[in-house]
Amino acid sequence: MSLGLKNNLLQRAQALKEVRAFFEEHDVLEVDTPLLSKYAPIDTHIDLFSVDLSENETGYLHSSPEYGMKKLLAEGVGDIYQLGHVFRKGEWGRLHRPEFTMIEWYRLGATFESFLEENLKLLRLFLGNQPHEVLSYREAMEKYGDYPESADPHIIWGCAVEPMLGQGKISVVIDYPAKEAALAQTRWVNGVEVAERFEFYFKGIELGNGYHELTDPIEQKRRLFQSNEERRALGKKALPIDSELIRALERGLPNCYGIALGFDRLLMLKLNRNSLF
Amino acid sequence: MPQVSTNELKTGMKVEVDGEPYTIVGVEFVKPGKGQAFTRTKLKHLMSKRVVERTYKSGEKLELADVEESQMRMLYKEGDGIVFMHDTTYEQMTVPMSIIDDNEPYMMDDVVYDLVFYKGEVIDVSPPTFLNMTIVETAPGVRGDTASGRVLKPAKTDSGATIQIPIFIEEGELVKVDTRTGEYVSRVKE
Repeated sequence: MSLGLKNNLLQRAQALKEVRAFFEEHDVLEVDTPLLSKYAPIDTHIDLFSVDLSENETGYLHSSPEYGMKKLLAEGVGDIYQLGHVFRKGEWGRLHRPEFTMIEWYRLGATFESFLEENLKLLRLFLGNQPHEVLSYREAMEKYGDYPESADPHIIWGCAVEPMLGQGKISVVIDYPAKEAALAQTRWVNGVEVAERFEFYFKGIELGNGYHELTDPIEQKRRLFQSNEERRALGKKALPIDSELIRALERGLPNCYGIALGFDRLLMLKLNRNSLF
Repeated sequence: MPQVSTNELKTGMKVEVDGEPYTIVGVEFVKPGKGQAFTRTKLKHLMSKRVVERTYKSGEKLELADVEESQMRMLYKEGDGIVFMHDTTYEQMTVPMSIIDDNEPYMMDDVVYDLVFYKGEVIDVSPPTFLNMTIVETAPGVRGDTASGRVLKPAKTDSGATIQIPIFIEEGELVKVDTRTGEYVSRVKE
């Protein structure tokens, strides 16, 4: 076996161990919800691998363990994390693979500040002792959004803004537009509705997507239907709604913050690589 | 021409955008946050060499450019053009000097060049990376020049190129030249 391969495997094993040690130290329980299930996260722009469960039943590989974990949260299990593989069809590039390792975790009763602090500690296991800045989506757009090639905010964000974020520090982007809330709550800032969603960036690379989790089952249902509508409009298949998730929210999802972090990207940065393996 | 989907794009591929031919010089899959994926490309115009940036939503299709590449041997200069011949088909063609452009000093009889055709018309001629040339004109090396730090002197080659050569090279000698930089590489022993 080559020395490079051996070293990479050692580094990866070490990093997995450190992440688990971090959560143990912070009293967060490891869970292992199913990768394969009949219902999977519904997101307008995330495509799933479908699997034949039997001759007439379709299942999906999950794109994040969010639904399974939220069902556990509603059971009252307390703070939990999952460190495992997730799947997203059609995503392949320097920073994308159709299968990757995700760290997803939830902290009950957290505030934005306390959750941010804990996540910065976790990120620093990989990135070293970096300073951080907090800026709003709008501030980032105003500062870096100069991209004459396109008028589409999403493309401007991807081509002009993202590469400028997290240079010499960890950038924490907050207050996303309400229509990009996904599963986050929203709040009003100076008369504008924004999502309580935040993202970490380092060296222009998106590392994690966090939410003040939506707990309202009616709003949750509405957003799932809306995602399916958008999928249909894009010529994609609508996905079955996970009624157990809705029931879990009806039973009561505790007030919590949650985040999904890209383990492979963190490891890539730790090893000073320019692309995923 | 056939089409390619965004997920098939690779650097080096020749595509037609707004009716113009480009080489893909950069391609990146981008999927920020929660939105739709897209592919960010850097495209270099085949003739003007100007680089532009374009983004395509995932699944969009691009037209391949009608571009062919062929190797042809230079036969001779003729008026305002150069006559080439294909080594196996013996097909001959004259390429106007305007296409040869900056490569004129590297055009030598009996050397094989890379020709690029767009819609059947030649648009680019590039020389091999290294060419052997004979020095036809240079001042004799002066003793003591090396001490003052001057180790190169100008010289003219049989192809018409002006290059810098070490002072110990004399007229009539054969040297190897890097056509990408126009720099002297080494002396060639015959």
